[in-house]
Amino acid sequence: MAAGARKPGDQDAPPRRLALGLALWYAAVWVWGAIDPNDRQDWLLENLLAIAAVAGLWLTRRRFAFSSASYVLITAFLTLHAIGAHYTYAEVPFGFWLKDWLGLSRNPFDRLVHFGFGALLVYPLREIHVRLAGVQGFWSYYFPASSILALSGLFEIIEAIVAILVSPELGTLYLGTQGDEWDAQKDMAAAFTGAVLTMAWVRLRAAAGRSTGSP
Amino acid sequence: MSRNHRVSLALLVWYVAVSVWTARQPADPQFWLLASILPAVFVVVLIATYRRFPLSQTSYALITVFLTLHTVGVHYTYAEVPAGAWLQQAMHFNRNHFDRLVHFSFGFLFAYPLEELFRLTGGIRGWLLYYLPVMTVLGLSGLWEIIESWVARMVHPELGVTYLGSQGDIWDAQKDMAAALYGALLCMGVLAVLRVWRRLRPELAPDVMVAD
Repeated sequence: MAAGARKPGDQDAPPRRLALGLALWYAAVWVWGAIDPNDRQDWLLENLLAIAAVAGLWLTRRRFAFSSASYVLITAFLTLHAIGAHYTYAEVPFGFWLKDWLGLSRNPFDRLVHFGFGALLVYPLREIHVRLAGVQGFWSYYFPASSILALSGLFEIIEAIVAILVSPELGTLYLGTQGDEWDAQKDMAAAFTGAVLTMAWVRLRAAAGRSTGSP
Repeated sequence: MSRNHRVSLALLVWYVAVSVWTARQPADPQFWLLASILPAVFVVVLIATYRRFPLSQTSYALITVFLTLHTVGVHYTYAEVPAGAWLQQAMHFNRNHFDRLVHFSFGFLFAYPLEELFRLTGGIRGWLLYYLPVMTVLGLSGLWEIIESWVARMVHPELGVTYLGSQGDIWDAQKDMAAALYGALLCMGVLAVLRVWRRLRPELAPDVMVAD
């Protein structure tokens, strides 16, 4: 079978040592983030989804084992998110450094993580679509990218609801709009761009694999 | 000419007629032009794919209803549509809700054509057949909000969010996307109920032209 059509399946499931390593890494990062975060309430709010995601991955690890690459990508994203939650996104030191270096008007760390959400998670998402729905060809690149955009939109909707309901002050902190009226659109665009780039890269690699005949 | 072709042609004639009517003296010619580009391209694509990949009559009809609503909104500019203003008065809303209604319609009216597209070309089965149209509608809504924000910043940077017909609501983009999401969920819910009903009590199920 050609590389592009190959289903990422159980043969790619991560060896136990890698899975354990990733779990230990994330646990360490999480504990570091949990110790004296900048804003405990915001940290808690940010971690609700992250904990749910980790629990979900743990519970489905036998029924649906992602490939090693996917687990690494997911861990990378969760690490970025843990850093953002620890400092609150608008106050991450690395973001301030980037802001000074690039002469930006705001801390871009949250935008970077939105981009990371698309770029890193679209790959595992593609595995789900290919293996559960059996989609192939164009659709196997379209659905994951479309899903990233949809999930980004869903986040923005949930964030808006949280901001309106819970508390307006914490809401803006959680939202991290930093006073930009187009923040929601830019966040979604960042995630979608990341997703499209990764899908383009996967597609090109599949094409290269086919032409050289190597998997 | 078969009955199917006649229906398709009638829908196209209807859409062209509505477009011609709205092209005369739109409330805001620049907005009319910008907002008419995408539907025009879409209709051309539908015509170009008609022979090779015909959608069902139901899908074409749903799409035509949506395009008609959009065309009306573009003619008056969404915030000024008379039907919306009437609704605002009758229901004591604080804004003209016609745009929100059309966002909802986008989800409700496009979910079935998308389901059909995925069923016939993607070979999708089972619950994913209901899930993917909903996600696609939500994704397209997000894309629309992104494009809208680019256009707003390019064409009227000084107007900011007011250009979008957000009518001063900072959560307008989120509410629009949520409206489309609810529309798509409702459509898929109706479709699922209809299919289960047909399977259990075929003699009592309503005779709606949707595929099993």
